[in-house]
Amino acid sequence: MLARYIIRRSVQSFFLIWLSTLIGFTIYQAAPGGPVQFLEDDPKATSADVERLATLYGVNRPIVIQYIAWLAGEDWLPQSETWRSGRCLADPDRCGKGIIRLDFGKSFYFKGQPAIDVIIERMPATFILGAASLFLSIVGGLPLGIYAAIKRGRLPDHVIRVSTVLVNTVPHWWLGLLLLIFLGGYLGLVPLSGMYTIGDGSLLDRLHHLILPATVGAIGGWIGFSRILRFEMLEVLNLDYIRTARAKGLSEKAVVYGHALRNAIMPFVTGLSGIFLLALSGSVLFETVFSWPGMGRLFITAVNARDFPVMMALFVIGSFLGVLGLLMVDILYSLVDPRVKYDVAN
Amino acid sequence: MAEQTLTLPGQVGKSQEDFKELTYWGAVRRKLLHDKITLAAMALGLFMIIITLGAPWIANNILGYDPNDTNLRERNDPPTWAAESWPMFQEFTRTCQGAEGCNWALWPGIFSASFAGLRECFGAGPGNCHWLGTDNAGRDVLTRGIYGGRISLRIGAYVAAVSMTLGVVAGLVSGYYAATWIDDVVNAVIMTLGSIPLLFLLIILAGTFPVFRTPEGLSFLLGFFGWMGVSRLLRGQIFSIREREYIIASRATGASTWRIMFRHMLPNVSSIIIVIAIFDIASAIIAEAGLSFLGVGIGPPNASWGNMMNGSLGSFTNAPWLVITPGLFIFMTTLSIYLIGDGLRDALDPWLKND
Repeated sequence: MLARYIIRRSVQSFFLIWLSTLIGFTIYQAAPGGPVQFLEDDPKATSADVERLATLYGVNRPIVIQYIAWLAGEDWLPQSETWRSGRCLADPDRCGKGIIRLDFGKSFYFKGQPAIDVIIERMPATFILGAASLFLSIVGGLPLGIYAAIKRGRLPDHVIRVSTVLVNTVPHWWLGLLLLIFLGGYLGLVPLSGMYTIGDGSLLDRLHHLILPATVGAIGGWIGFSRILRFEMLEVLNLDYIRTARAKGLSEKAVVYGHALRNAIMPFVTGLSGIFLLALSGSVLFETVFSWPGMGRLFITAVNARDFPVMMALFVIGSFLGVLGLLMVDILYSLVDPRVKYDVAN
Repeated sequence: MAEQTLTLPGQVGKSQEDFKELTYWGAVRRKLLHDKITLAAMALGLFMIIITLGAPWIANNILGYDPNDTNLRERNDPPTWAAESWPMFQEFTRTCQGAEGCNWALWPGIFSASFAGLRECFGAGPGNCHWLGTDNAGRDVLTRGIYGGRISLRIGAYVAAVSMTLGVVAGLVSGYYAATWIDDVVNAVIMTLGSIPLLFLLIILAGTFPVFRTPEGLSFLLGFFGWMGVSRLLRGQIFSIREREYIIASRATGASTWRIMFRHMLPNVSSIIIVIAIFDIASAIIAEAGLSFLGVGIGPPNASWGNMMNGSLGSFTNAPWLVITPGLFIFMTTLSIYLIGDGLRDALDPWLKND
């Protein structure tokens, strides 16, 4: 049963990733511009020139073949102009390998570097920031939720609820900007941008640069996690077995942490499933605010420069990571909680 | 719904008049009018709507600036009333970063200079005082702020309309046809949209196709990718009332599927829809701000609360009013929306326990 569930979810995930490549390719095709567009504005260009360029880049092939070549590469396709682009026919080394072999083409903006190299270079920065934010949001959010649940209806609960509502009324990246202005610009407590000081790069220096972006990135997590946990704790604390635990004379601490928390934390794990996607989306705004050299900022640079290979690579890789994150959490959850029903999708 | 009546607690000891049984909407209105926080929030919301709708008049007659008039000699100028105190404040922050610590003795000077400046500003008349400074093209930030509200609020309303329409239809249909292929299709679409990085997709679309950088286009985009939550919630609600007696009864009398869905089911979930729609406006305003801040939302020269911050990244420590002003506009608007939504949620469901 479990094996079947895992297989079914994996097939589903595979399909989702394929779908995201289809979405990406459709946008790519529909976007204005392209290799022969500029010739149409050139009075000296003849239709033969247009034809030659279109053949060279293979943009006059049927759209399905272009998609197959983009997805799986063209080096295994038949040796003819209907199947391969002109470059690939002339020189086998210039054949596309396809995105399944991580060949997303060459970046337009970063001087012809392969798009995947540009991205891999910036991956660690995003993962460091994401992991630090997640760590801070768990460390801060869980106790906050437990505390609010224990103090339900009393002052601390109200303070936590009101402050979370207030913080949610503004974009979190705007709070980041404000903190950056006051803590960084005026008080000089934190650096204004980047991941480390050029020429330094020691652990302490990196932590110093990380602290504010990670804290701001964790705000959403604090609010979300504390809400989920407060709700779940309140549900669990009303159950009979908790009354039993209290009745047999256990200390409040043992009841809350030993008995209630264990069951309340389960739904919290499902709350984690979207975290990859959230972290990825958050990375775009937070990295822009803090000039953090990660994938999110790269993405904005690529979009503004119309660097389609990098844009599409980031979109497909982002979808891949997002789908993979959901799959992993689902499987982990089904392993941890024996009560999971395998046949209900939601 | 209209024939449903209820009596609220707290009616004991009132005159005969007060014992009239309330209709549902009467009870809602009564509860709302007793909720001071919601009333205050409504006042704040009304204020925001008035200053944004009245922006052209305010800009002409009170502020005296045009939102798109550039003035290259006044780039990133501090508020006019702070012309003297701003350098003093900057001096203060410099001392804070120095070795000997903050020089608090500067503050009396900052205050007195600001007050003198404010007094002067009040007497100066339209066109002589930038209340909240100027941006990097010398445009008046306050004027752009109230004009930006026209676009931001419009987008909020449009997005709510688009996403509610899609979400309500999808939720109704998938709840009514739960566990059939129609439900599966809707679920598959929701799952797909839930597992790809939507912000990436939004940015690609808005950055690639200029049509999505107009208020209408951007609203369509945000609404088109923002209906899933509504649909899921409604599906659950519809599913739970699907087998109620009155639905079965209307089916037995031969009512068509559409009639059952829109005449019998929809009114029963309308309170939820209203509340979500209101919260949707707030999240749309925040989303627009994010996209425009990144430079892929509303394009120049039109002001929106998001794109006013877009140009600030290089100079925000020298000109913090570029960041603070639009953010405060967003804060006031979304705060009022959240509080109204919260109040309505309580009022629309008089049986709901407050937790």
